[in-house]
Amino acid sequence: MSDMMIRIEKVCKTYHVKSRAEPVRALDNVTNHIDRGEVVVIIGPSGSGKSTLLRSLNGLQEIDSGAIFIDGVSVTDKKTNLNLLRSQVGMVFQHFNLYQHKTAFENIVLPQTVVLKRSRAEAEAIANDLLNKVGIPDLGGNYPSMLSGGQQQRVAIARSLAMKPKVMLFDEATSALDPETVGGVLELMRGLAADGMTMAVVTHEMGFAREAADRVIFMDAGAIIEENTPDQFFDNPQSERAQDFLRQIL
Amino acid sequence: MEWFAHKWDIIDQLTPFLLQGLWTTFKISIVAIFFGSMLGFILGVLKTLQIYPLEKLINTYLHLLRGSPYLVQLYIVYFVFPSFNISWLNFDSFTAAVVSLSLYTSSYVTEIVASAIFAVPTGQSEASRSVGMTKAQAYRYVILPQALKMTIPPMASVYVIVIKSTAVLSVIGIAELTRQGEVAIMRMPGDIMFIYSLIAIFYFFYCFPVLRFSKWAETRFGSIGIDLK
Repeated sequence: MSDMMIRIEKVCKTYHVKSRAEPVRALDNVTNHIDRGEVVVIIGPSGSGKSTLLRSLNGLQEIDSGAIFIDGVSVTDKKTNLNLLRSQVGMVFQHFNLYQHKTAFENIVLPQTVVLKRSRAEAEAIANDLLNKVGIPDLGGNYPSMLSGGQQQRVAIARSLAMKPKVMLFDEATSALDPETVGGVLELMRGLAADGMTMAVVTHEMGFAREAADRVIFMDAGAIIEENTPDQFFDNPQSERAQDFLRQIL
Repeated sequence: MEWFAHKWDIIDQLTPFLLQGLWTTFKISIVAIFFGSMLGFILGVLKTLQIYPLEKLINTYLHLLRGSPYLVQLYIVYFVFPSFNISWLNFDSFTAAVVSLSLYTSSYVTEIVASAIFAVPTGQSEASRSVGMTKAQAYRYVILPQALKMTIPPMASVYVIVIKSTAVLSVIGIAELTRQGEVAIMRMPGDIMFIYSLIAIFYFFYCFPVLRFSKWAETRFGSIGIDLK
């Protein structure tokens, strides 16, 4: 048996939207797992439940039934210290969500001192290292509003990495970026993957999926329709819906 | 020339008297603003915690206070509360003034604080919780610092309203600025216009710096670091 980092068991989630008579089935009995060091890319049309699935992995999204385990610890168990668990799971958002009232540097320092109780000096040293690592060593003093989307996303990635996470979750991390800055952020993500980080990535970047993923999961209508290695998935999709989807986007 | 001499004489005579009134106005409004802001801040934060019964309770409080004239609230606190026969509710006029005005202030501050917190994008809270901050830590380090900046301009407007509302307190015999002016008018009824103008100028000298501060704060804090696209 392989070494599972994330275990997803029969997860269901239904939204009740006022404008629609029928409740929306966002996650329909999803079962899967992600191994330690594995990079899994989740793709699918919008509204297919991929973001919901990703956000349920760190409990940001509550689920109706089923169970999720991160490194053996249940996300859904009421007795779990969810804050401790979340500190070990990095999350990168589509809209970066940097703390607007803090500089880039302070964005990376704050969670370390508040959550991990690291000393200010240690947190600052780590923040400096990470600003270097994400390629913006000189921009630490800038407020988020003074940075481009790509730069903000680099800061957001650095902020997550500062927590020394076991897993990184990327929720359409490049969807809100200008085309010319997408490449740099993807490059950074590829680097993380190469370093052996366990990653779950929701994205529309098929190039990234093909190159960096160990496995591709295709979702539609809240269910996993197909999963395969990227080469197999892109060259020889099995299901009709995956074939349709790939025809439309490629 | 004689006209000016006469008016100057009034100013000269009344200024110490009116300054006394202004001092009372100042004391009452400052205390009410302080306690009203504290209470309003607490209620405003509680209102955003999404605890349904608590939210209903606070909303009821707000509707009652905001849906009735301040004068009526003042009468209730000063004349009706003592009839409950609870000794500590038997306020003297100064306490009644401060208590009612604090409650009145709190109703506005609550709404300002709550709407500022709601105006902080949800992504800020998500980004805080997803690195493992507790809800309290997210409020303390991320949400409140951003929300409080946004409250400064509207807060200054409320403070000016509160300062001006103290004029009503003359009805329960508080010797604040308006009351002092009225007493002066009884002594010099021929100069009613001039004395009221004088009172207005005194209020202006108190309110104007607050409004200037609001204007300054709006440019200084209204947008910096907060990118509300």
